[in-house]
Amino acid sequence: MNKIWLVIKHEYLRHVGKKRFILAVLSLPFFIFVIIGVGMLTAFISIDNTPVGYVDHSGILDQSKQIVEKNTSIFDKPIELLPFSDEKVAEVALKNGEIQAYYVLNEKYLETGEGKLIANEAPGGEVSSQFSKFLKRNLLSTIDPLISERIIEGANIEIRASDDERTVSNDNFFVVVLPFLAGFLFLIAVNISGGYLLQAVVEEKENRTMEIVVTSVSPTQLMTGKVIGNLSVGLTQLIIWILFGVIGVGFVMNSFPNLRSAQIDADFLLIVVMTFIPAFVMVSAMMAALGATTTDLKEAQQVSGLFTLPIAIPFWFIGLLMENPNSPFSIFLSIFPFTAPISLPLRVAFSNVPFWQSSLTIALLVVLAIFSLWLAGRAFRLGMLRYGKRLSLKELFRKSLI
Amino acid sequence: MNTIETNNISKRFNDQKAVDGVSFDVRPGEIFGLLGPNGAGKTTCIRIILDIFKPDSGTVKIFGGKMSEEKKQRLGYLPEERGLYQDINLEQCLVYLATLKGLSKNESQIKVSRYLEQFDLNEHRKKKVKELSKGMQQKAQLITTLVHEPELIIIDEPFSALDPVNTQMVKDLLQEQRKMGKTIVMCTHQMHQVEELCDRIVLINQGKSVLYGNLSEIQKSFSGNDLHIKTQSNLPSTIPGVSSIQSENNDGDFKIHLEKGNSPQDFLKYLIGQEIILDLFEISIPSLDEIFIQIVTQTGVGNE
Repeated sequence: MNKIWLVIKHEYLRHVGKKRFILAVLSLPFFIFVIIGVGMLTAFISIDNTPVGYVDHSGILDQSKQIVEKNTSIFDKPIELLPFSDEKVAEVALKNGEIQAYYVLNEKYLETGEGKLIANEAPGGEVSSQFSKFLKRNLLSTIDPLISERIIEGANIEIRASDDERTVSNDNFFVVVLPFLAGFLFLIAVNISGGYLLQAVVEEKENRTMEIVVTSVSPTQLMTGKVIGNLSVGLTQLIIWILFGVIGVGFVMNSFPNLRSAQIDADFLLIVVMTFIPAFVMVSAMMAALGATTTDLKEAQQVSGLFTLPIAIPFWFIGLLMENPNSPFSIFLSIFPFTAPISLPLRVAFSNVPFWQSSLTIALLVVLAIFSLWLAGRAFRLGMLRYGKRLSLKELFRKSLI
Repeated sequence: MNTIETNNISKRFNDQKAVDGVSFDVRPGEIFGLLGPNGAGKTTCIRIILDIFKPDSGTVKIFGGKMSEEKKQRLGYLPEERGLYQDINLEQCLVYLATLKGLSKNESQIKVSRYLEQFDLNEHRKKKVKELSKGMQQKAQLITTLVHEPELIIIDEPFSALDPVNTQMVKDLLQEQRKMGKTIVMCTHQMHQVEELCDRIVLINQGKSVLYGNLSEIQKSFSGNDLHIKTQSNLPSTIPGVSSIQSENNDGDFKIHLEKGNSPQDFLKYLIGQEIILDLFEISIPSLDEIFIQIVTQTGVGNE
């Protein structure tokens, strides 16, 4: 037991804290921050808060109906609307740069709906949306303010499955994004940990340290230590990224307050964790088992690609999973161990998954995870002294079953 | 109790018999030579003893029983396939391997530093293993073999990458370990090293054991017909019972080959009768090299 711990510690510390690891961990958030930062900066620069003028020949606009909205985010500063008596005055103001554009409403606006927008450069969408809100508010001024506000702001419709109390609010942006995000993170985690693990599994072969090591610890101890140690490295990397993500999301939510209502379902998180952990161990151990049958790192890396593919398959059927989360095909995807880690959270997010289905999925994953670990140990023991000679899968299974 | 007992072990890879019914014992406190030409099955024998391979048939006892995790801590092994973890620094690598042999981290650090000092590797302790020369890596591996003070040391081709200075150092080290009562199994095809160090040997050829026993007794059994004499007198061209007389040099050294059935005593009596003055008369002991070549060419060489 103590020796497994030594191997875990050695495998873990070999990566974590090293320059290469820190660079690998920091490069992704850094890259994303730079992209988002540049995007925000350009958006910020392109915002034009210069007031907009209007010339009202129809006499329906009342300046006092201009509502100064509660300041929301740095990107949502309201644009001031200024009244002008005629086009000439407005034209002068436009030339002087006091306003960025001006609207002209015809005398018979109410009958024809005709109007003009005069500007040197086409103004942003914010200008027209704000002017049209102002216009609507004026037109609806005689109606009950509650009703007029509802007409202007629109409805907030909740989507509800008929057999279920689970709801997806249009506003709850996270319910839609989270399963995608979780699946995506799972794929990344599998790839990272798999990479470390493959390297670790072929290391003793490449270094020719195998005999020294197996005359010190048993192959099973070595393999267990390696799998746990390298999974921990992948998880560490993932957790650091998630922390960066949480900080980032916090920042975004502060900038866009209409996302603040978002909340994450605890049941959903539980299912995600219960699916991901055994699936993670299963895939990594299978990679390790195959890696142990190969002769060097290059060959082992080619093998790892085999595993990413079936895991990503549910992404191709994402429309189906969202629209018909309880169709037989969706159920199959969520139970089949390789597609389960991404399909099951998606189904759980969009419908009510029967308890037996999620338990069956998790149970299958746990059994397969244990089997894969055992198989990885076998493959390691059988393939360990075959320098430059591959262990065939047939051989592995035949010898494992005896 | 013998330290190692192998009884009729055989191992076959595909269609080739790597080891074929080999038996030998290693006694406590001796240096035992496991000899043979390349590809004879020496390394396979060692791997079977160490439980890296399972034998197809036959039994192995180590420290009186089956190999166990606890027993792994009592032995040190220098494999033929030399290797260390390449990407970490030398000291880290050695300390890790020492802790796998059951030493505490603290103990490992102290002992590793002591050996690094003794092996002139102290200034390289912070270097990555892959930056070290082949000879340095081999010395580092010897540290790994010895650092946990094992009762049984098994070394495969200990001198292969070493210069004469380091070869001597390793020999001295092995003698020292023997004085401390350690049992050593040395696997090699460099016969002259064996003659200096080993007490007993087994010679393996094509997977079969062809010679086994006490080194000096083996040498004696291969001698008997050859004599070495030194004389300034002229020897007669033919002597009864002698099949050939060869002059080794101009200094009076002769190699005498007796016919079967004639004893050295008869030959000596004859020389005295002829009033030949002898500076030297000895029964020449064949070198292990000669015995080795004689046996291997009789039985055919391994096919590696």
